[in-house]
Amino acid sequence: MRRMLRLHRIFVAQYMKNLMEYKVDFLTGAISFLLGQVVQIAFIGIIFSQIPTLVGWDFNEILFIYGFSLIPKGIDHLLFDNLWSVGYFIVRKGDFDKYLTRPINSLFYVIAEKFCVDAFGELFIGIVLIVYSAIKLRLTITWYMIPLFFVAVIFATLIYTSIKIATSAISFWTKASGHITHMFYMTNDFSKYPTTIYNKFVRTFITYVIPFAFTAFYPASYFLSGENPLFCIGGTVVSSVVLFVISVCIWNMGIKAYESAGS
Amino acid sequence: MRTYRPFTRAGMLESVAYRANFFCFLIGEIMSCFIMFFVWKAVFMSTDSQTFMGFTMEDMVVYLFITFLTGYLTYSDGTYAIATEIRDGSIAMRMIKPCSFDMCFLFQELGNKIINVLFIFAPIVIGVEAYRWVITGACQFDVVHFSLYVVSLILAYLISFYFNVSYGFMAFYLKNLWGADILKEVIINFLSGATIPLAFMPVALANVLNFLPFSSLSYTPVMIYMGMYSPTQIFLKMLLQVFWLCVMILLSKIVWNHAVKRLCSQGG
Amino acid sequence: MIYVNDLRKEFKKTIKEPGLKGSVKALFKPKNEIIKAVDGISFHVEKGEMLGFIGPNGAGKSTVIKMLTGILTPTSGTCEINGHIPQKNRQEYVKEIGVVFGQRTQLWWDLALRETYSVLKEIYDVPDAEFKKRMVFLNEVLELESFITSPVRTLSLGQRMRADIAASLLHNPKVLFLDEPTIGLDVVVKDNIRNAIQKINEEEGTTVILTTHDLADIELLCNRIVMIDKGKKVFDGSVSQLKHDFGQMRELQYELISIKDLKKLNYNEDLKKNEEDISMSNEGALVTVRFNCDAVSVEEMLSYTLSKVHVKDINLKDADIEEIIRRIYRQEVSMDEV
Repeated sequence: MRRMLRLHRIFVAQYMKNLMEYKVDFLTGAISFLLGQVVQIAFIGIIFSQIPTLVGWDFNEILFIYGFSLIPKGIDHLLFDNLWSVGYFIVRKGDFDKYLTRPINSLFYVIAEKFCVDAFGELFIGIVLIVYSAIKLRLTITWYMIPLFFVAVIFATLIYTSIKIATSAISFWTKASGHITHMFYMTNDFSKYPTTIYNKFVRTFITYVIPFAFTAFYPASYFLSGENPLFCIGGTVVSSVVLFVISVCIWNMGIKAYESAGS
Repeated sequence: MRTYRPFTRAGMLESVAYRANFFCFLIGEIMSCFIMFFVWKAVFMSTDSQTFMGFTMEDMVVYLFITFLTGYLTYSDGTYAIATEIRDGSIAMRMIKPCSFDMCFLFQELGNKIINVLFIFAPIVIGVEAYRWVITGACQFDVVHFSLYVVSLILAYLISFYFNVSYGFMAFYLKNLWGADILKEVIINFLSGATIPLAFMPVALANVLNFLPFSSLSYTPVMIYMGMYSPTQIFLKMLLQVFWLCVMILLSKIVWNHAVKRLCSQGG
Repeated sequence: MIYVNDLRKEFKKTIKEPGLKGSVKALFKPKNEIIKAVDGISFHVEKGEMLGFIGPNGAGKSTVIKMLTGILTPTSGTCEINGHIPQKNRQEYVKEIGVVFGQRTQLWWDLALRETYSVLKEIYDVPDAEFKKRMVFLNEVLELESFITSPVRTLSLGQRMRADIAASLLHNPKVLFLDEPTIGLDVVVKDNIRNAIQKINEEEGTTVILTTHDLADIELLCNRIVMIDKGKKVFDGSVSQLKHDFGQMRELQYELISIKDLKKLNYNEDLKKNEEDISMSNEGALVTVRFNCDAVSVEEMLSYTLSKVHVKDINLKDADIEEIIRRIYRQEVSMDEV
C-alpha cells in the first residue's frame, strides 16, 4: 500500500510537470466544467424564482444536495479519469499490453497514471455551494458530522469509480465499452435532485440497482436533517463496497479474456 | 454530387459498426431528458398555476424532447475530427483528394446522420405527439409546423457544421482538445437556449441571444415545431438562419485558407 | 528455464457480410467464427539461449509471445518460465522479464526519457545504487546519452527502440522478450541494436526470445529458430540445421559472352534431370540456374556449363536462408522431410 501511494505521488508529480507546459489547456478544461455547472445552477435559480419550494425542498437545500453531488463526482474525475480511456481506446488499440507487463496491479496502474485537473472546476463549485447553502440554512453541525462527511464522500466516490471499473472492463470482451460507461455514468445526474421527485421505478433503480442516489441525495439529506444516518451513510458504505468488490471481480475476469490487438 | 456518395456510405458503415455502443450512447444521452421531465413534473406539482412563465407542462415536455432531438441531429463532430487530423497530419490526405474538404466532411457526417434519423427521429416525434394526444385529448400534430421545422432543422445543422469546422481549425492550437470541445458544448448549450429556454431569461439577454447565431441552432427550430411563432416571426427567424449560415460558410473558408497556408509553410 | 507444452489460443471473430446490409445484420445478429491463432505449440528453452521466432504475418508469433509474457491467457496448454506460470502471480512473474514490442512504445509519451526511467525504477523497485549501475551499463551498450533529456515523443524510431530496450532491461530481467525489435529501422541502427542484444546476452546471460521478419536478425543473433506457420510449429533447430535440411538448392549465375550460346545449353536433357532438380532462367545474357546439389554435384554443373559455353563473371550462391524460408512459406518443401 505504501509503495502504491509513493508510486501515485510520482505519477502525479510527473503529470504536474507536463501540465505546466499546457497551462491554457488546464484552464480550458477546468473553466468548461465550472461553467457547465454555473449554467445548471442558474437554471435551478430561475425555477425557484417562480416557486417557493420544490416538493418540500427549498432553494438552499437543493443547492446543498446539488453541491454535494459534485464532490464525489469531482474526486472521481480528478483521480480515476483514465478508466474512460480503457473503454474508449486503450483496449481496442491493444495498448493495455503495457499495463500487464509491469509488476504492479494493472487496475491501480491504469488509474494512477493520469490525473485530470479539469475536475477542479467541479470540485470548486461543489465546495462553494455546500458552504454557501450550509451558512444560509444555518445547519446545525455536530462534531461527528465532520468525520461522517468525509466517510460519505470517500465511499460515494467509490460508487462512481466502481461503476467505471466494471463498465470499462466490459471492453476486455467487446473491445470498446466507452459508451456503456457513458450510459451508466449519465445516470448520476439523477442524484442531483431529491429522489422524491421521481417515480417509484426510477427511485428503486437509483437506490438499489445503480446506487447513485447514495452519492448525493441520501448522504446530503442526512446532513440537512440529521435523520436516518444508518440508511443514508451506512447505505453509501455498504453499496459502494459491494459494488467495488463486484467490479474488481469483473475486471480480473476481463484481464483473462483480454485479446490484445494484432501487430 | 456523385463524388461524395462514398463518403456518405463510409459514414453510415462507421456508425453501425460499433453496434452496442450506438444504443448505449443514445440511452445515456436521453437520460438527461427524463431527469428534466421529473424536475418539471415536480415544479408543476409545487405551483398552483397551470403555467410556468407561459409554458404548460405539456409544452415543457415537447420542448425537452424536441430540443434533445434537434441538438442530437444538428450535432457536428467537425471540431474534434478536424483538430485531430491537423495534429496528426492526415489533413494532408484531404488536400490531395479531388474534392473540396468541407464537402468530404459534410457528406461523411451525413452518412452518420441518416442512421441517426432512422433510429431516433421517428420514435421521438411519435412519442412526443402521442404524449400530447393523451394529455390534451386531441391530436396536436401540425403538418405545416412540422415541415417548417424540418427545413429549419436542416439550416441549423448546416450552421452547426460550418461553425464546428471553423472552431476545429482554431482548436488545434490547444492540446486539450477534449477540454476545448466541452467548453464549446457548454457555451453553445447555454447561448442556444438548449439548457434554459430563452423565454425564461431576462428580456435584455434574451434579445441579444435571439439575434446571435446560436439561437438558430436549436431554439428557432424547436419554437417553430411548438407553434410558438407567428408566420411573420417564422419568416424572419429563418431569414436570420440563412444569414448566419452564409456567415459561417464564409468564416470556414477563410479559416481553411489560413490553415492551408500554415500547413504548406510548416510542411504539415 | 522455459517450458511450453501444447499451447493453444483461440479467438472469436465476428464475421460481417460486406456492405451496409451486412453491417445492419451484424448489428442485430452477429455471427462468430473461431480462429486458432496458436494451435498446439511445444518447445523448451535453456538459460542463456537466444531463440528466434519466425513465420509469415498472422502465423501466431506475437500471440505466443503475448502468452509467454502473461498478456494473453491461453485457451489450453501450459507455459512455465523460471518456475512461474505467467497468468498466475503475474505481478511476481513480470519482475523477472523484460518486454519490448517493436511497434508500440511502453514509454510515457510526454515525459523526458530520464523521467521515464525514474518512474520505472519505482515500479520495479530497483535500489538506487543498482539503478545507477544499470544506467551506466545501458548507456554504454545502447548509447542513450545524446537524447536522455528529450521527451519520448521527439525521439526518432531508432532512438525510441534503444530507449525501449533499455527500459525493459532496467530491472535486470532473466528473460527478455523482443517482438520485432528491428522493424522499420535503417541498416546502421539495426546493427547497433543487434550488437546491444548480443552484448547483453553475453554479459548477463539473459535468455532472449525474439520474433522478427528480418532474417539477418536470426542469422546474426539466434542459435536456434522456431518457425511457426498457421499456429503450428514447422521447424525447431539451429540455423545450420535449417540450411542442412532444406538448403539443397544452389544457384549458379553467370554472364554469357555471346548471347547466341544460349541455345547450346540444355541442362535437363543433357544431365538427365527433371525440372524439380534443375531449372534455368535468363535475362538477356545473364543466366541463372537453380539446382539441387543432392541430385547434381557442383562439379558436374560447372564442368557441363564450361564445356558448352564461354562465360564471364561466374558466381555460385550458397543456400540463402531467406530463400529457404520463402520456399517453406510457399509450401514448396514438404514438411515430412523434417
